Amino acid sequence: MNMTPKGSPVKVYFNNVLNGISSMFEGMSITLASMFTRAQTVQYPEVDPRSVASQRQNYKGNFRGMPENYRGLLDVEMDICTACLICMRACPIDCIVITNVKCDKRVFNGRSGKKAVQTRAATRFDIDLGKCMFCGLCTLPCPTGAIFHTNEFAWNKEDLDSLVKRFVDPETGAAAQKRAEEIAQEEIAAKAAKAAAKEAEPSSGDSSSEES
Amino acid sequence: MLIESMTSLGVPELVAQLIYAGLVAFMCINFVAVYAGLISVVERRVAAKMQSRVGPNRVGPNGWLQWLADGVKLILKEDLIPAGADRLLFKAAPMIMAVGVAASFAVLPWGPAHAIAADLNVGILYLISISALVVIGILMAGWASNNKWSLLGGMRAAAQIVTYEVPVAMGLLPAIMIAGSLAVSDLVNAQGWAPWDWVAFDNPFAMLGFLLFLTGSVAESNRTPFDLTEAESELVAGYSTEYSGFRFAMFTLGEFANTWVVGAISAAIFLGGGLVPPILANVPGAAVGVFILKTLFMVFVLMWFRWTLPRFRIDQMMDFSWKYMLPLALLAFFGQSIYFLATWDSLVAQSVVSHLMVLIFLGVFFVFINRVLINYRHQATVVNSYKTETDYLVKTGKIVLAAPKEAAADSSEQEEG
Repeated sequence: MNMTPKGSPVKVYFNNVLNGISSMFEGMSITLASMFTRAQTVQYPEVDPRSVASQRQNYKGNFRGMPENYRGLLDVEMDICTACLICMRACPIDCIVITNVKCDKRVFNGRSGKKAVQTRAATRFDIDLGKCMFCGLCTLPCPTGAIFHTNEFAWNKEDLDSLVKRFVDPETGAAAQKRAEEIAQEEIAAKAAKAAAKEAEPSSGDSSSEES
Repeated sequence: MLIESMTSLGVPELVAQLIYAGLVAFMCINFVAVYAGLISVVERRVAAKMQSRVGPNRVGPNGWLQWLADGVKLILKEDLIPAGADRLLFKAAPMIMAVGVAASFAVLPWGPAHAIAADLNVGILYLISISALVVIGILMAGWASNNKWSLLGGMRAAAQIVTYEVPVAMGLLPAIMIAGSLAVSDLVNAQGWAPWDWVAFDNPFAMLGFLLFLTGSVAESNRTPFDLTEAESELVAGYSTEYSGFRFAMFTLGEFANTWVVGAISAAIFLGGGLVPPILANVPGAAVGVFILKTLFMVFVLMWFRWTLPRFRIDQMMDFSWKYMLPLALLAFFGQSIYFLATWDSLVAQSVVSHLMVLIFLGVFFVFINRVLINYRHQATVVNSYKTETDYLVKTGKIVLAAPKEAAADSSEQEEG
């Protein structure tokens, strides 16, 4: 529809009249049609939009449950996290803090089925949800899909400090730290052994003994 | 009848007439108050439906007592008068507006053509002039508030009434020419019960006059798309910015009661009023029912306009009246005159034209219904679904789905339990 017709003033004038009538005709039909569609909104405290099954029984509206790409509170599945720091670097406002140490090598499949290799474990994985703006930039580059948005939107805390979600509890962190120290010791020992082996037999390096 | 029985009991006639007038006025005012309250809820529900919301649904059954809660809240609020305001004018403005609206109920019919509180022989003229009193109230409120937004709102209201009074009055002219009278009862009686006897479908020019009258009335009652006097995005709340409590309630009451005035006048003058087919002539309440149905339909059309059309800019509003509505009003007036000259002697021609008008209207109506159905189907299909949003992201491997749908539902239910 030509909203700014050009031409002689007379033509413009009658074009304006026709435009007004036709666009009003269409607009009125759209609003009348939406009179007969069901409400898209949810009466929140009574109907919980998070539970699709329960709301379908009671709710008469048009709501089809929460979108699955809803960017709610962040959550991390530590089992498949490789502590690679990619999410920390992707975060534009630095609300993710990760420290990592070496750990036993582990090979597994991520959420997308892609093979992932873990060589480091997190001793600290904090997300300050008070700062987080739910942009989703951390979830996009994650190689295993460990960090993701839940569809949780309501979360009340009494002070700012409790808005920091800590995904590594102190015991796990301490254990990882301890294991890392052991690994370091083992590596030093292995290196020394290797050096000794090299000194003894410089021609043939045995890789299988190194890994065991 | 009441006056005669009172005078026979020895009451002086003047006193009896005063008592009668007081009773009628009391009934009108009560009707105005209750109607304005109820229609405010209806309007909010209609708006909610048009915007796919639920609307007020907490107070009373389905929210139908919301207007009482609003009224009680407004009455309990503090009555603020800003420093530097003209106290007398500030206090008088809401009253004048409410009086202007209530006074126009004097010439509104209530179904049968003669059921009018005061059947003045210049009824329409009285209505046009008394409805301008509303704007004096708005202008007073704007001036007395000592506030720039209020003043701008008041000035816009004055400009608007000066602009739109002309096309409204000229839009009424075809109806007045057909009836040959200014009294509302004559204007109603000049029509018949069937659509082809109504003034609106009498000939194309009367139809044009009806549309001009309707548009201009929307502008005069300051409703969207002509609500420049209280344009929220520009003027806070326009002329009522400084008002609170019951004074504000009076403004709102006046605005909502005005919808009935516009609806009733359109129904009475252009849509056959409370005239019923001869079969229903002896059924009590039929005339009142038909009239109220027509009026409420027109009120619904006003709401429909309000929630469909966006607000005009001030220069567009002026252009719309002076450049488009006034020439069309002149066309309606002269066209009606020429139509009279052409078909004065031939009842057959008049009847053919009016029946053709009804047929054309029905055609437009069915085209419109078709459009509504198309739009309904369009709105009922899910366009903005999750799939359309994420499909390409998954395909390009940019995102990994959090969890399958069933698993998400299960986990959230577990969390609740």
